[in-house]
Amino acid sequence: MTQVDTTNQAKRIRLSQDLDTATERLAKARDFAKVAKLKPVLDLARRLMLANGFAEIEARSQALESAGVFLGTDWDQPQILLPTLTSHSLKSPNSDVVVIEALSELRLLAVAMGDVIHPQISAEQAHHFLTQVLAINLSMLFTPLSEAERESQGRLAQVPRAMLSYLAERIGYEYVIDQLIAEIWRILRQRPVQVDSVKQMITQIAVCRSSANMNLGNTAIGADALIQGADRLVSSLYGPTQLCREDPGVEIYAERLQNLDSSALQSEAFGFSRAMHDTGLVSPYHAVLLRTLCESQPHLIVDALGLSGTGRDSLLCYHDLVTALITQAVTPHTPQAIFGLTLMLERGILYQPAVAPSLWRQLSLALSAWSEQRLNAVFGTAVSARTRLLEGVLLMLGLPLGIGQGNNPTCQSARALSIWSHIDPDYLLQLIASAARDNEIIMHFEGEPISSARVLDDIARPLPIDLDPVSILLVPHLDFIYGEMGRLCQGRAGDPHRWINPEFHGWRVCRGFRINVNVTTGQLENLEDFLRYFYAYYHPYYNGNQPLIHPQPAGIAITDSAARFIGWHAITIQRVALDPNGVMRVYFYNPNNDSGQDWGDGIVVSTADNGEQFGESSLEFEPFASRVYIFHYDTQEPGEPARVPTENIGAITEYIQRSWGKERSADLALQASKGLNGA
Amino acid sequence: MNINSEKGYVALLGWSLNAVEAAADFDRRYIVVAPDWARDYCEQHDIPYMPWNFERINERSMEIAEKLKELGVDVAIPLFEETVEWAGAINSVLLNNPRLLGQSMLMRDKSLMKRRAQLGGIRVGIFEEAHDRDDVIRFLRRVNQTLLKLDGDPNDPIHFKAFDKAGCLGHRVIRTPDDVDAIPDEEFPALIESHLDGWEFAVEAWIHNGKIRFLNISEYVSLGYSVFVPASPQLEQHRAAITQQIEKLIKVFDIEFGLIHPEYFLTSDGEMYFGEVAYRPPGFKVFELLERVYGFNAYQGMILAFDPKATEEEITAFFPKEVQDADGYAGCFGVYPRRRVVNRLEIPEETEDHPYFESHELMPPMEETVTKRTAFGTHWGLIYFKGEDADEMFKLLKRQEELDFYV
Repeated sequence: MTQVDTTNQAKRIRLSQDLDTATERLAKARDFAKVAKLKPVLDLARRLMLANGFAEIEARSQALESAGVFLGTDWDQPQILLPTLTSHSLKSPNSDVVVIEALSELRLLAVAMGDVIHPQISAEQAHHFLTQVLAINLSMLFTPLSEAERESQGRLAQVPRAMLSYLAERIGYEYVIDQLIAEIWRILRQRPVQVDSVKQMITQIAVCRSSANMNLGNTAIGADALIQGADRLVSSLYGPTQLCREDPGVEIYAERLQNLDSSALQSEAFGFSRAMHDTGLVSPYHAVLLRTLCESQPHLIVDALGLSGTGRDSLLCYHDLVTALITQAVTPHTPQAIFGLTLMLERGILYQPAVAPSLWRQLSLALSAWSEQRLNAVFGTAVSARTRLLEGVLLMLGLPLGIGQGNNPTCQSARALSIWSHIDPDYLLQLIASAARDNEIIMHFEGEPISSARVLDDIARPLPIDLDPVSILLVPHLDFIYGEMGRLCQGRAGDPHRWINPEFHGWRVCRGFRINVNVTTGQLENLEDFLRYFYAYYHPYYNGNQPLIHPQPAGIAITDSAARFIGWHAITIQRVALDPNGVMRVYFYNPNNDSGQDWGDGIVVSTADNGEQFGESSLEFEPFASRVYIFHYDTQEPGEPARVPTENIGAITEYIQRSWGKERSADLALQASKGLNGA
Repeated sequence: MNINSEKGYVALLGWSLNAVEAAADFDRRYIVVAPDWARDYCEQHDIPYMPWNFERINERSMEIAEKLKELGVDVAIPLFEETVEWAGAINSVLLNNPRLLGQSMLMRDKSLMKRRAQLGGIRVGIFEEAHDRDDVIRFLRRVNQTLLKLDGDPNDPIHFKAFDKAGCLGHRVIRTPDDVDAIPDEEFPALIESHLDGWEFAVEAWIHNGKIRFLNISEYVSLGYSVFVPASPQLEQHRAAITQQIEKLIKVFDIEFGLIHPEYFLTSDGEMYFGEVAYRPPGFKVFELLERVYGFNAYQGMILAFDPKATEEEITAFFPKEVQDADGYAGCFGVYPRRRVVNRLEIPEETEDHPYFESHELMPPMEETVTKRTAFGTHWGLIYFKGEDADEMFKLLKRQEELDFYV
């Protein structure tokens, strides 16, 4: 034992005694006086954590909780906590937030270890939660303190790290690694446009893996799990083929390619395309190969992209265009462009007459100074802004359902981009050209033109930074126009989405519109009518087996894992169809970055294994219908609302009343007696 | 604790969570009289409550007094400077003693207070009332002439105290005519007084039936920064003399019950000068410090001291023996940010790791730029210490002045 350890030991004993006293005072205090007694408890807990007294706190976690440390906060209901949020609270500059979060984790640890029985959460649930916390905060576990953390948290920055490694030791590293790898796969299967954070996590793993023995100490099982489970992920980025297996660096790899014959090149091409289609991730080496093939062996491009019949035909028809795109967009800094290009070819959209010419315009587009400066500011200057934008264009056209809104409240803009990319790609390319070159987009609202040019003059307006290159340029304009349309609707009775959605997204959005919430009172209204029309328009059994023609925007009431209402959210209904098990499902696009969400009351959004295409989310029809509050439909093709069975409507109504409709049902009883009108 | 309706029924004037908590845990009926904004909180937590907005005392004081009388309230207890004259007005009705209103007005006017003390034979410094800046400049010049200063010698400072502000609020130290220009109009009229070089300390005395029931001496390390209790042995050796002074004060101000909080200067020749006296709990959480070392709740002590129905035995049993019964020294330090621009709160390691460190109530900064301090200003929060040794406590509190808590 070193000197430091013994002083820390003495300090821990003293601090835990003080903590006991403070906890007791908190426990005894009346409800109204708890606030004042809480501060010393949190402060002592913080100091005990700084002295590495996590075991001491774990042992006291039950006393702390029953004294009321979590009273009146979300932490008081551990069953609704979300692991993803812990990374924000653990990095908070406010020490109280960091300490409460850490206390909550240590409390769950005691539950997970079976030392404490908690009325709201089981040992298994606690265990599962903690492994997710560790996986999500893995970087803090393995990397040294960053300057940013030190700057915002000071000495406090040690606490989350020390707490996480204490958790990892108690829980076992092998769980962490398994969980992390599963998590990455889950995200990748949604094929997001933005993969920077996933790449970062994989890089984390690669770093940990190469120094596994050092970092993981004697937890040999953990090291094994890390090495095996992560292999595919790490190799897809750093060494997908024989020739780059040991991650030699792009220059050496380029030299090696010079000495290869045609069949060896082909085998490289297969190796890369397999890794790409497997993970959705593209290695920088892949970019080197593709550029080489363009110059010397263009017939192998098909193999390097791993194209099917459709893709191959597109490539052969538009060979010059594809070559130009590769030359300008694909670099070792922008390897994901390859994936975008591949999927764009597979979608066959080049056969739409306006798309190929639009892409030629894109290739020679002169960016405005503002656009160039903005792209450079967000993505750096390793490649030109135009290359960066081209990569974004290819990704957006290839993965219309992989577009994310980042950490911005702009779900409508992300949704619009997705819809246009999906069904109106040349219009999207038109908007990109206008925004990137002219700093202006003009849209019409009921005949009146709205220009977005003013938006860039407003220097105080915060600009998004965590988006893909196309969104970076377009979202400020779209957001502005969307807001203007809302302003033009002021004074109209009812919900403005009725008029905005068709004007904003285009004629393909149906003009028929239903909402089940009274805009003034917030109460549910016309619920049965609403559900019957929703059913009859979207459900193939009641609409004459008609597949949805154009994706339709819809509004949903988002609920958390405890089924409590959180807010309104914009999504797109893509299609309604039977899943592989013969169950009718709604497949939809959610502009959230990760669509696998738990909406409570047993409703968990699925993103894979139920017939979803990449990027689609899905739910069974009834649970989905229970969260919809706005939808569009064609008034000339309403289906047969009267035929929808009353039991089905009843089942959906129950879902609603158990969740976001709980406090909004006052008027419903009244309406029920009036019966169905109009069907 | 069980409520005993034989005992007094008290009204707390003003909102103080600690006072409410103490009352709720005590054995007497109580009611909180506070502005409207406290209503929701009180209803939510079942705290007996009567709404009242304490502005300048006005003809409506009779109304609140009658309301409380109807309820059967025996006495009103002021918790803040602003409610002292309201308590006087209300108690003159409740206790049928019109003199109490006049007494409370004395306590609210620093100049009247000083004159009364002087008339009663208590030593005070040179003082005057100032109605405008010219008065202040004239006083500054005259004081320094008296001290036989020549032109060009640095002035001895004078003190400027807005008439009706509590404690350090509105207290300025004036050295030059430039300082005078910086005084805003709304701080007039004010009391101006000569600077006394000496050891400044405060006293809290609980009085019942005209007798002192507990007398605490609070030692200031630096005025406006730090205080600890009980006072160091060096100051406590003057306890007998201090007690005499307080008895004089009680007589001069004709105080029968309640809590007084006077300030004094002890000069190097052992002479005591009266500074001012307040009829309410002290700022700087001295009550909390007392609880920490003596274990009794000072607010409950205050309720006892005010309650006309409190018995002799009850009071004797409640208060501990001064100094003897204290298990150490408890002190607190008021933090002011020292930098002009601050990002976050960080308690210095040496402070936090000191064995005397107990807790703090500092908040993360709300804004990055720190407003320049005028007068003595308001601190950003307190840090609490407790330990065995008075000298160490003194040094520790002094040392805090040199540390940054906001960086």
